[in-house]
Amino acid sequence: MTGGTVIALQRLRQQAAQWAWHVVCLPVAASCLFPLAWMVSSSLKTQQTVFTDFSLIPAVPHVENYARAWIQGRFGIYFLNSLGYTVLVVAGVVACSALAAYAFSRFTFRGSGFFYKLLLSTMLIPIPGAFVALYILLNQLGLIDQGSGQWLPRLGYILPQINGGLPFAIFILKPFFDGIPKELEESAEVDGCGVLGVFWHIMLPLARPALGVVALLTSLAAWNEFLLAYLVFSRHELMPLQRGLLAFHGAHLTEYPLLMAGMVISIVPIVAIYLVMQRTIIQGITAGAVKG
Amino acid sequence: MTRIKSVRHLTQRGTCLTLLALAGSAVLLGIAGCGKPKAAQQPGPLRVWHWMTDREAAFDELARRYQQETGTRVRFELYAPSDIYVQKVRAAAQTGGLPEIYGVLGELRDLASFINAGHVLPLEEAMSRNGNAWRSVFFPKALAVNTFTRENAYGVAPGVYGVPVDVMNVQLFYNKRLLATLGLDQPPDTWEAFLDVGRRAAAQRLIGFVSGWAELWLIDCFATDYAIHEMGMKQVEATYRGKVPYTDPDWVRVLGRFAELRDSGVLAEGIVAMGNKRAEQLFANGQAVFAFNGTWGVNVYQSMNPALEYGVVMPPRTDPNRPMVTWGGAGSSFFVNAKSPRREEAIAFLTWLTAEPQQRYLTEATQNIPANRSAAADLPAPLAAFADDMDDTVHPRLFSVQEESTVIEAFDKGIQSILIGERTPEEVAARVQETKRLEASRRATRAARQEGGHAID
Repeated sequence: MTGGTVIALQRLRQQAAQWAWHVVCLPVAASCLFPLAWMVSSSLKTQQTVFTDFSLIPAVPHVENYARAWIQGRFGIYFLNSLGYTVLVVAGVVACSALAAYAFSRFTFRGSGFFYKLLLSTMLIPIPGAFVALYILLNQLGLIDQGSGQWLPRLGYILPQINGGLPFAIFILKPFFDGIPKELEESAEVDGCGVLGVFWHIMLPLARPALGVVALLTSLAAWNEFLLAYLVFSRHELMPLQRGLLAFHGAHLTEYPLLMAGMVISIVPIVAIYLVMQRTIIQGITAGAVKG
Repeated sequence: MTRIKSVRHLTQRGTCLTLLALAGSAVLLGIAGCGKPKAAQQPGPLRVWHWMTDREAAFDELARRYQQETGTRVRFELYAPSDIYVQKVRAAAQTGGLPEIYGVLGELRDLASFINAGHVLPLEEAMSRNGNAWRSVFFPKALAVNTFTRENAYGVAPGVYGVPVDVMNVQLFYNKRLLATLGLDQPPDTWEAFLDVGRRAAAQRLIGFVSGWAELWLIDCFATDYAIHEMGMKQVEATYRGKVPYTDPDWVRVLGRFAELRDSGVLAEGIVAMGNKRAEQLFANGQAVFAFNGTWGVNVYQSMNPALEYGVVMPPRTDPNRPMVTWGGAGSSFFVNAKSPRREEAIAFLTWLTAEPQQRYLTEATQNIPANRSAAADLPAPLAAFADDMDDTVHPRLFSVQEESTVIEAFDKGIQSILIGERTPEEVAARVQETKRLEASRRATRAARQEGGHAID
């Protein structure tokens, strides 16, 4: 057997392996994409055809459903609210969790292990489980919407979300900081950097992939949040985007095309964020996976 | 050495940061403290909490009209789905944050606990003003659901507590076109004729009967209708009291009706796993001959298929000499917060909301039967059929005794097991009776323990 034949056989084997992977992955990808395709398709149908016309491309696409969903669901105001809440929650979570994770990773203080585990254990408490307690606390702080003023209720919505997002973010970031060589910090200190200087100039840039993951996951959670909004807000003008979708989802009657159009509108920003940060996120997830 | 220095540096910074955080919290609390009295000084609109997403636009329009007529601002605040609403109301009740008007979702005991905790204003006096003027506008059955009788089991003072906004009942929808395909121009009025239609439908590969029987309450609704029809209310209540066992031949016969449904082929395939939304889709798309559904179905079918030709009848009788009944009563109700200083304003608004013009508007906008009798006088055909039968409705809340929820669950799940051919009616009856016995013995033990505790005290 010549060297050329061996190389050709190896290539063939590699290609066969690739094809086998594609055969396995394609149905998985299709099963992930089909609900999205069905959602877009249904958003272009009517209430009468949504369960009778099963084609993915409707014969007469009703693009006006998007305008109706936007207006009927009052998406204009909810969209801006959600955008503001998401930006502030992500900024809060990233800032606090990066500082906390750095501290847990680099500084030994009494009870650090206990506090770290205690913090992680709070991930087990779902927000609905703490509803009544949270309501009482926010009410005593005057952060529940009582029909007047808008900044305090908004703060009452943002702060618990930052608080709720911290454990998971710290859980992602701490191992990342652990993996950064200490020699880098020491070099920076020799060059005159203080603790915050090291953190800002050395650690944060190196942790960018993990911060990207934290930012994406937090923005997903904040963008889709609506349980807490119901607890805190009573006026619709303060509510986030998910509230708009409820306009089409009644106790008995669901307006599927408008609901689907609303859902398409609501996922666009998150998909855009993912597309923009795709490379950073994959780096972060891969790095996390390698560190185990 | 450098490391020790930086840790010290950090400790100093840590102290500063802690102080800063404390100062920040103090400022936050200060701001929060300043915020509260401001809200109290300016009385805002009357607030109404509800979960009825499909009525949001209609309620907002009514609030606008009320402000135009009286100058009083009303704000309807929607919280859905219903489980979130329940949590919000409970949390608000614990902190004294309930609005002027709200709905209470759940069982009768939940409403009773709200009343006993002083969160619900008794409306007996308001209803009785001017020679029962307000009371007389409602369907009696609708008001009865929100009324506690003198010897209720919850220790609630007798009287009316809630204001019904609409009424509902659950009946049999039939598809006129499919019925004609089967050679019939009228829906069956006897049980045998109904089963026969089912057999014909099965022979022509049509779906005979759909209903959301994955949801136990709809099965319970159907079974209770037939239990009362075949045995009479007295025997049903005697069973709940433990005087008649579920193994009684009458109960076995009622359970046997489900075996007959199964054997006739009238039931849609997989009906015990079918949610009501799926059942509604099948009927709306003209795929099923019959649907057992509530008043809200009119709105759902209109929205999904305006061309659908259907009628509504009471479920067919098994005994032509006995009256047929159906589940029904108040659809949605509002309650006035007893702790609100604006109770009278709330009553005034609810009186206005349940007056004929507003009830007519709600009916047009939401396709529900109004709680106001006069507004229900000239309803369109399908709704009129429901409204006409309001006097023949029953509701478990109105029974003189309530069955234990564990027994109801065993009964309904037993019916599901009959429908899938897993158990016979006799086996189910025996199992339900066993659950009833266990529940009674548990209750007796609990009572004995309590008595023992009192004796020790």
